[in-house]
Amino acid sequence: MLGYYIQLALRSFRRTPGLTALMAGAIAFGIAACIVTLTVYHTMSGNPIWWKNNSLYAVTMDSWDPNQSYDAAHPKLAPDMLTYRDATYLYGSNIPERKMLLSYLVGVLSGTPGLTRPVPVNTQATTADFFRMFDVPFEYGGPWSAAADRGPEPVIVLSRRENGKLFGGADSVGRTILWNRLRFRVVGVLDHWNPQPRFYDLTPAGGGSFAKSAAAFVPFEWGPTLRIWPSGTMSCWGPQTIDTYQKLLGSDCVWITMWVQLRTSAERARFLDFMNAYWAEQRAAGRFGRPRNNHLWQVSQWLRIHHVVTNDSRLLLRLAFAFLAVCLINTVGVLLAKFLRGASLMGIRRALGASRRQIFEQHLVEVALLSLAGSALGLALGALGLRGVHAMYAHSGNAYGAVAHFDPLGVLWALALAALSTVLAGLYPAWRIGRVSPVVYLKSQ
Amino acid sequence: MLRMQDISKIYRTDLIETHALRELSLEVKAGEFVSVSGPSGSGKSTFLNIAGLLETFDTGLYELDGREVSGLSDDARSRIRNEKIGFIFQGFNLIPDLDLFDNIDVPLRYRRMKADERRKRIESALELVGLASRTKHLPSQLSGGQQQRVAIARAIAGDPALILADEPTGNLDSLMARQIMDLLEKINAMGTTIVLVTHDPELARRAQRNIHIVDGVVIDSPPYQSRFTQFPPRTTAGAAAE
Amino acid sequence: MKTARTQVNLMNVPIRPLFSSLRRNPTGAVLVALQVAITLAVMINAAWIVAQRLEKLERPTGIDTRDTFEIGIVGSSRKFNVAQAESEDLAYLRGLPGVAAATVVNGILLTENGGDTDLSRDPGTNGPVVGANFLTVDDQALNTLDVPLIAGRNFRADEIRPLTKGKQTPPSEVIVTQSLARTLFPHGSALGRIIYNGDSNPLTVIGITRDFMGPQVGAPAYNTVLLPTMPGQAGLYALLVRTRPGMRDTVMREAKQHIGTAHRFGITGFSTPLAKAERQMHAGDRNTAILLTTVTALMLAVCCLGVFGLTTFNVGSRRRQIGTRRALGASKRDIVAHFMMEGALILSGGAFLGSILALVVGNWLTVHYALPRLDLVYLLGGVLALWIVGLLAAWQPARRAADVPPSVATRTV
Ligand SMILES: Nc1ncnc2c1ncn2[C@@H]1O[C@H](COP(=O)(O)OP(=O)(O)OP(=O)(O)O)[C@@H](O)[C@H]1O
Ligand SMILES: [Mg+2]
Repeated sequence: MLGYYIQLALRSFRRTPGLTALMAGAIAFGIAACIVTLTVYHTMSGNPIWWKNNSLYAVTMDSWDPNQSYDAAHPKLAPDMLTYRDATYLYGSNIPERKMLLSYLVGVLSGTPGLTRPVPVNTQATTADFFRMFDVPFEYGGPWSAAADRGPEPVIVLSRRENGKLFGGADSVGRTILWNRLRFRVVGVLDHWNPQPRFYDLTPAGGGSFAKSAAAFVPFEWGPTLRIWPSGTMSCWGPQTIDTYQKLLGSDCVWITMWVQLRTSAERARFLDFMNAYWAEQRAAGRFGRPRNNHLWQVSQWLRIHHVVTNDSRLLLRLAFAFLAVCLINTVGVLLAKFLRGASLMGIRRALGASRRQIFEQHLVEVALLSLAGSALGLALGALGLRGVHAMYAHSGNAYGAVAHFDPLGVLWALALAALSTVLAGLYPAWRIGRVSPVVYLKSQ
Repeated sequence: MLRMQDISKIYRTDLIETHALRELSLEVKAGEFVSVSGPSGSGKSTFLNIAGLLETFDTGLYELDGREVSGLSDDARSRIRNEKIGFIFQGFNLIPDLDLFDNIDVPLRYRRMKADERRKRIESALELVGLASRTKHLPSQLSGGQQQRVAIARAIAGDPALILADEPTGNLDSLMARQIMDLLEKINAMGTTIVLVTHDPELARRAQRNIHIVDGVVIDSPPYQSRFTQFPPRTTAGAAAE
Repeated sequence: MKTARTQVNLMNVPIRPLFSSLRRNPTGAVLVALQVAITLAVMINAAWIVAQRLEKLERPTGIDTRDTFEIGIVGSSRKFNVAQAESEDLAYLRGLPGVAAATVVNGILLTENGGDTDLSRDPGTNGPVVGANFLTVDDQALNTLDVPLIAGRNFRADEIRPLTKGKQTPPSEVIVTQSLARTLFPHGSALGRIIYNGDSNPLTVIGITRDFMGPQVGAPAYNTVLLPTMPGQAGLYALLVRTRPGMRDTVMREAKQHIGTAHRFGITGFSTPLAKAERQMHAGDRNTAILLTTVTALMLAVCCLGVFGLTTFNVGSRRRQIGTRRALGASKRDIVAHFMMEGALILSGGAFLGSILALVVGNWLTVHYALPRLDLVYLLGGVLALWIVGLLAAWQPARRAADVPPSVATRTV
C-alpha cells in the first residue's frame, strides 16, 4: 500500500508543482533558520565535557573587597579565580582525585629549525592533571609527570598547530626548544583539541569563552620560579600598588583558575569542609572580610553563571522558533487547502471502498514526502546559511567565528525537530480530509 | 441481497429538518435488476447512498447480503463497499488526473490485490465495456458515454455482488443511454444484482421490477405492475415495442 | 489612475457575502491571519531592536581610527629594559616621516585589553564610585589620539612619571573625559577638583577632553582617566601611533619590522589598526542586526507566500462561482476587488492580533533584555507595511481570478 501512496503523492506533486514548491520552500526556510541558530546556540551552550559533569568542579572562594562585590552585576558570586596564596594552599589538599591550576604566561619560543626569529606564544602554565582531567588527546607523547610539577622541570607540551609550525608536524617528543631562552624538553604534542566553549577558562584576557586553547603548556611553577608576570586576566583590589612579583604572590589579586576532580558526593563534601576550615582559619587571621562563599561548580553551572550563551544568540534562537512556527502554519494552511481541493476525488475513493484510515494514510505519506524534500532543501540552505554566518563573523575577526561550524549534533537536532513538526503539522489536514463525508462531494459535481 | 425495514433518514440543518426517508421498507433479491423511480427530491439518491453504505440512517434495519450493517465501523463499511458494491454515478466521477487503467485500479488497490491479478481484472473489465484499446487515455479525452463505460468498468472490476447506479444515463443522449442499459443488462445476466435509479421510464421499464418512491416512502412495488399505472401513455407504446 | 478606480470598486464590494464565505471555510483564513500576527509581532520588535543596535553602531569612537594603529612589545626575559626600549621606540617612531604623533599606553583601545579602575570624590572606599578606563600615557597622548582639550591643559613633559626599577612615584595630576567629568561632578566644573582612585592618593583634574572610547574593560565607553605615567611595569607596553593620512599600513609594516629586531630581550606581540579594532568592537551588534533583518525578511516572505497561496486556492476552488458571477454581469474589476477585499479582511484580523502580540513581546523584551519600551510609531509602521505587502501578495491571484471566463459557469466537468 505504501508504494501506492507514494505513487499518488508524487502524482499530486506533479499536478500542483507551484504549490508543492511553495510548501517545500517554506519548510526548507524554517529548517534552515533553525539549523543555523540551533547550531550556534548548541555550540555556545553545549557542555563540551558533559560526561564528566558530575566529577569536575571549578573552585571559587570569595577573597574580594569587603566593601564591594567582585562583579557588581552579580553580587552573590565570588571571583572566578583565586589568589596565589589560596590556590597553592587548596592545591595542597589530597582529597581530590585530581586537581589543577591554570594561568597564562607569554612564552617566547626560539631555537627550532622552523623558526627564523623568536615568536611569542600564549602559554598555559598548568599542572600535570590538567590533561587527564579534561581528557585532552595527545598525538605524540603525553603529559609530564607529577614530579615535573614540583621541580619544576623544563618540560613543555605543544599544541598540534604549534608543533606543525615548529617541527613541521613531526613527532617532536624528546626534542629541545627554547622557551623564554631556557631549554625545554618536549614531552607531548596534543591532537586536535579545541573545546567550544573553552569551559575550563572563560576569562576575557584568555580570549573569552570561545577562544582557542593555548599553544604551549608548561608546569605552573615556572611562573613564580622565573617571576614571569601572568598575562591572563588579573584583578586586584585594595590600597597597595602591586609593582613587584613578590608583592603579587602575597596579594589579594586573583589570577589563578582552579579545578578539582571529585569522585563522590562524599569526597565533594570533604573538600568543601576543607575549604571552609581554611576559610575560617584565614578569617581569624584577618583576611576574608566578605561572607563565606566557598563554592564548587559543575561545568554546566560554570557555563551558566558566566553567561556563556549571549542574550543575542538566545534572542535569535527564539526568533528561529517563531520563524519555524510561521513556516509550519503556512504549511498547514497550504496543505489543508490543497487536500480540501481534492476532497471530491477523495469522495470517489471513499465510495469505491477506501476507508478513512486509508485516506488519512495516503495524505500522511504525501506530507512525509514533502517534509523529506523540505528537510533536504533546508539542510542545504542551512549549510549555506552557516557558511554565511561563519564568513560574517570571520570578517569581523570575532572569536564567535569558531561557533558557526556545521556541528553535526546541532544539525541533527534541528532536522529531527523540523521533520517531526512538519509531520505533526500535516496530521491535522490529513485528518480533516479523512473525515470528509463521501456523499457531499459526489452529489455536487 | 438487500433488505430494508422501516429505514428513516432525517437531514437536520439549523433551520429545518428534512425527512428524506420515512420508514422505508423494501427488499431486493440476489440477481435482480431493479429500477427506482420517483419525483425529484423524493429520496431516491438518499436511499441509494444508504444502500451503498455511503451514509448512515437514523432508525430501522438494513441487512446487506444477510448481514445487519447499522452497527458496523467505518473500516468495515469501507471494506464492504470495496468488495461487494460497485457504484455508477450520473456525473461519472472519474478521477481526472488518472488514466483509464489507473482509474479502474483504484478500488482494487484498496483491496490489496496483487499487481498481475489487478491487471487481469482491469483488462477484462475494459474489454467488457469495449474500451480495451484506450487504457492510457485520460478521462477528459473521452466522450461522456465512454466515460460512463469506464465508470461501469471500474464498478465491475472488483467483481461486486451489487451494483448501485444513480441516474447513470442522466447526462447522456438516448442512444448512448440505451447502450449503457445494454451493458448493465449484460452484467446482470452474469449474476450481479443491480439497483438503478432513473427518471427515464423507458429505461425503468427494461428492469425486472420498478420501485417507486414518493416523499421518502415506497408507494408500491408489485413486480411488473406499477409501470403501467405510473406511465400509462408511454408504456403501451413501450410494451408494444417489446 | 488605476488605483483610484480600484478604490471605487472596493467600496462596492458587499461585505456580507465575504464574511459568509470566510465563515464557511474559516481554517485557511485563520491560519493566514495567525501567520500575519506572528510575523507582525516579530517584525515590529526586530525593527525596534535593530534600530537600537544601529544607534549603538553609530556612536563615534572619538578617535581618528583610520590613521591610527597600536603595536605591543613584550619582554622575552627579565633582563628586558622596558624604560630604555620605550624611549628608543618613541624616538624611532617620531623620527619617521609618515608618523604624525606617537605615544606609549598600557592597553589597546576599543578591544577590551586594558585596565579599568574605580574613581571617587572622597578618599577611602566608602563613597560612591565611578568606573573608568585608565590609560597611563605620556604628554603626547592627546596629540596622538587627536582628541582636543575642552578645558584645562595637557600634561607637561616634566610631569610624566618615569619607569624605575622599584616603586614608581604615583601621579598627582589627571586628565579626564567630558563624560567622566560630568559623572563625577554633575554640578560645576571638574577642573581643579580632587579625585581618588581607591587609595588615598589625591589626583587633581588638570584637563578635560572631548569624549573618546577607551579600552572598555568594565567601564562605560566614554569614561576614561589619563594618568601621566610611563606604562610597562609588568614588562609589556603598547605603542600608539597616528600616521599621516593614507600612510598607516606602510608605517605599521615598517615599524613592526624595525621594532621586532631592535630590542635585545623584547619582541613585538600584536599590531592592530584601530579601524580593525573598531570593526571587531561592533561585530556583535552588526551581526545581530544582520541576522535579525535577514530572518525577519524571510519570515515576511513566507507570510506573503501564505497570503498568496490562500488567495490562489480560493480563486482556484471558486472558478465556477467566479464564472457565474461574471455571467451575471460582474466586471473584471469587481472580481479583483472581491478577492482583494477578502485579503484585506484577513490581513486586518491578523494585524489586530499581531499588534497585541507585538506589545506583549515588546514588554517581555523590556523585562528580560532591558530593551527600551517599544515605540508605538514602529507598531503603526509595521502594521501599515505588512498590510501593504500582504495586499500586494494577494494582487496577482486576484488578477488571475478576473481572467476566469464566464463560460466556465456552463461547463459540466
Ligand atoms: N445533505 C443534505 N442535507 C439536507 N437535506 C438533504 C441533504 N441531502 C438530501 N437532502 C434532502 O433530502 C431529500 C431527498 O433528496 P434526494 O437527493 O434523495 O432526492 P432524489 O430523489 O435523489 O432527487 P433527484 O431526482 O432530484 O435527484 C430532498 O428533499 C433533499 O432536499
Ligand atoms: Mg438524486
